[in-house]
This record gives sequence, structure tokens and C-alpha cells, in this order.
Amino acid sequence: MTTQTSSELKLEIKLLIMETLSIQDVSPDEIDEEKPLFGGENALTLDSVDALEIIMAVQRKYQVRIGDQNLARSIIRSINSIADFITAEQAKSVS
Amino acid sequence: MRIENFQHKMAAHCESGTITSLLNHAGFEITEPLVFGISSGIFFGYFHKMKSFAFPTFIVRNRPGQMRINSEKRMGVKFNTFTFKNQDKAQQKLDELLGQGIPSACQVDFFYLDYVPSWEKVHINVHFMVVIGKEGDNYLISDSYFPEPVGLPSASLINGRFAGGSMSPKGFLFYPAGIPPYIDFESAIRKGIKKACFNMLKIPLPFLGVKGIRMFAKKIVEWPKFARDTEHLSHEIMKINILLEDQGTGGAGFRFMYATFLQQAAEMIHKPALKELSQELMIIGDGWREISLFAARIGKNRDLGPEKLKILSEMISGRAKVEEKFFTQLNKAMI
Repeated sequence: MTTQTSSELKLEIKLLIMETLSIQDVSPDEIDEEKPLFGGENALTLDSVDALEIIMAVQRKYQVRIGDQNLARSIIRSINSIADFITAEQAKSVS
Repeated sequence: MRIENFQHKMAAHCESGTITSLLNHAGFEITEPLVFGISSGIFFGYFHKMKSFAFPTFIVRNRPGQMRINSEKRMGVKFNTFTFKNQDKAQQKLDELLGQGIPSACQVDFFYLDYVPSWEKVHINVHFMVVIGKEGDNYLISDSYFPEPVGLPSASLINGRFAGGSMSPKGFLFYPAGIPPYIDFESAIRKGIKKACFNMLKIPLPFLGVKGIRMFAKKIVEWPKFARDTEHLSHEIMKINILLEDQGTGGAGFRFMYATFLQQAAEMIHKPALKELSQELMIIGDGWREISLFAARIGKNRDLGPEKLKILSEMISGRAKVEEKFFTQLNKAMI
């Protein structure tokens, strides 16, 4: 089993978002990992429909479930928060 | 001042979250899914033509206030409740309770909460939050939709507590007044599940429960008749996503929370069948989320032709089928 590093996971999340939302005019490097993905502070300008697309894409790819809407909002706040959630969920399923 | 030992927690839904926080503060350790399940929070209703709604709409939870009432009935906890005609008296009561170190839940119109970002503001008269402190003219609020307690000027709180319109709060507030020394969880869980199954399967009205989901599926293709134009229709179709996902009103979120309740209940009353049903409900919840996303997509793209509404109708109809099977099995599991 290979272990994915944190930076690899974050790149993978960026690519997943770009693919899910068909974003072609932004490169992964331009997406700040800490800044919010919503509200215009980051290179991406996303809305609530995009948020739902991202939730479902993350659920499918990483076999995790984000059931609580309010929790979902905080999980998909930034690339870092998505990565933290996935890492924590994967650790839970291993233990 | 701030009620120091009050633990702020985020929750999936404002009413069950508020009840849970208040009960926890009163020393009764209970989870939000247990409160939701025992109080039969899961539901569905479709309203095609009603005076109170300008456009067809639906609900995915039981009547506001019912979770508190059912919690009292099934677990024996007691809440003190108050409504007011006079705004000053309503604030005085709130301040008096704060002075005694008692956090209380207020019913408010979501629109007047200054801490809610402008793009999320909508008039919903049945939002619940807990008042946990006051500093000068600002109240400190524990709102389960937000990660930290937030401040709210008293004028805004008054506006929220005395908003007009359908289901106006009338200054309603409540707080726990008593926790029984022993709670018969087996009986509470059984009654909660049986009532949820009754509500979803057996209410003899065509717009409630599974019948309501079926009516929603059938009638959604008629929505263009009610819309002024494409913009209006798009707005209403996108509201399906908002009602299912964004505002704690349920759909996928409530199905997931009820599934968590069944998982906890399976262990508490030693019924492994509930655990299997919990897994099934998770999958049903995913289906609701697919509907939510599809509605949001076609609404956003103004892609609202009859064929798209037909697909949406079929997706909703699919939920009616699986939920009918699910609640029938759940009902049998409780015999």
C-alpha cells in the first residue's frame, strides 16, 4: 500500500475540483490551499451549486460521507480543510 | 456576561440541535440524532396549492415545535415555554433567565440575524438558537449553524423574535425545567420509530409521507404553469436544492441523521436489524442528494425543458419507492 503525502492529496483535490467543475482557466498552482474557495478570495469563484458538486465528487472518490450540511460547509471551506477531513476519515477506517 | 459552562456545538438541524444543547447543558447527555429519532423528526409533505405558499413547495421534517413536544412525551423531560405579546416583556424574561444563568432557546426569523451572510438570508420564521450571554446591547448567541458563538444586537433579536407572517415566533422561548432520574430509552425509541413509520406510510392524506413524495414527483412537471417566466421557474427549481441541502431543512441531511439514530438505537435496544436499515437509509440519502444536485444544475443553467422536469420527476418517484420499502421494513423490525 502506498502512502499519499499531504501535498499529493491537496493536488489531487485541486484536480478533482477542476475536473468536476470543468475549470480550464485556472492552474492548480493558482489555487491557494488555505484561502476560502467561496466568496471570491481565491483563484476560483464558486457558488453553492459548485459546493454540492464538490461534496459529491469528494464522497465518490474517497468513499467518505459528508452527511451534515453545516459540517459540509466547514469541510469544503478550503483545500486544506477538505484534505484534513479526508485524512481524518481515512485514518478512522484504518483503525 | 456569558453563561460560562455552556458548550457551543454545531448541529445538523436548528431545532434538534438546540434541544440537544440545552439538554446537555442541563446535565442530560444525549446526541442530536437520538433527539431527532425519538421525536420522529423525519417526515415529508408536499404542498401543491396552498394559500400560505405562493408556489408549490415541500417539507422534509415534522412541524416546528413538534420535536420538543415529542421529546417531552417520550423521554419525560420538561421544558418551560413562553410566548409574548409585548416585546419589552419578552426581552425582560430573556434577561431575567440570563441573570439566573439559564440559557434559553428563542424562535426567530432567520432573516434578521445580522451574523448570517447576506447571500444566505431568507425569511424563515422557525429558526431556533440559544441565547447564552449579553454584553451591553449585544446578545451572545449559540447558533448551531455556526462554528462559534456569535454576537447579535438586541434590536435585531427583537426583530427576529417578533417577525410577522406565517408561523410568526411571537417571542417564543423555551428552556429545560426538569430531567427525569430514569429514562426508558427502549420505549422512547420504539415509540419514536413507530410514529415516524406511521407518518411516512399511513397518514390518510395524499400529500403527506411517501404519498407526498409521490405527489411531488407527479406534480413537478406542472411547475412551469405556476411560474411567471424562466427566471422564476429556475429560482423555484433551485430552491429544491436549498430546501434539501442548504438550510438544515432536511432531505439528504435528515436521512443521514436518521440513519445515525438507527445505528445508535440498534445498540441501545439490541436490535441489529436497525443497523442494516441504517445502511440502507444512507444510500437513500445519497439519492436525495443526487436530486438536489440535478435540480440545482438545471436551475442554474436555465435548462428547464419538459424532458428535464420529467427526469427530475422520475428521480423523485424513485425516492418514493425506496422510502416506502424502507419504512415498511423499519415498521416490521419494531414488531
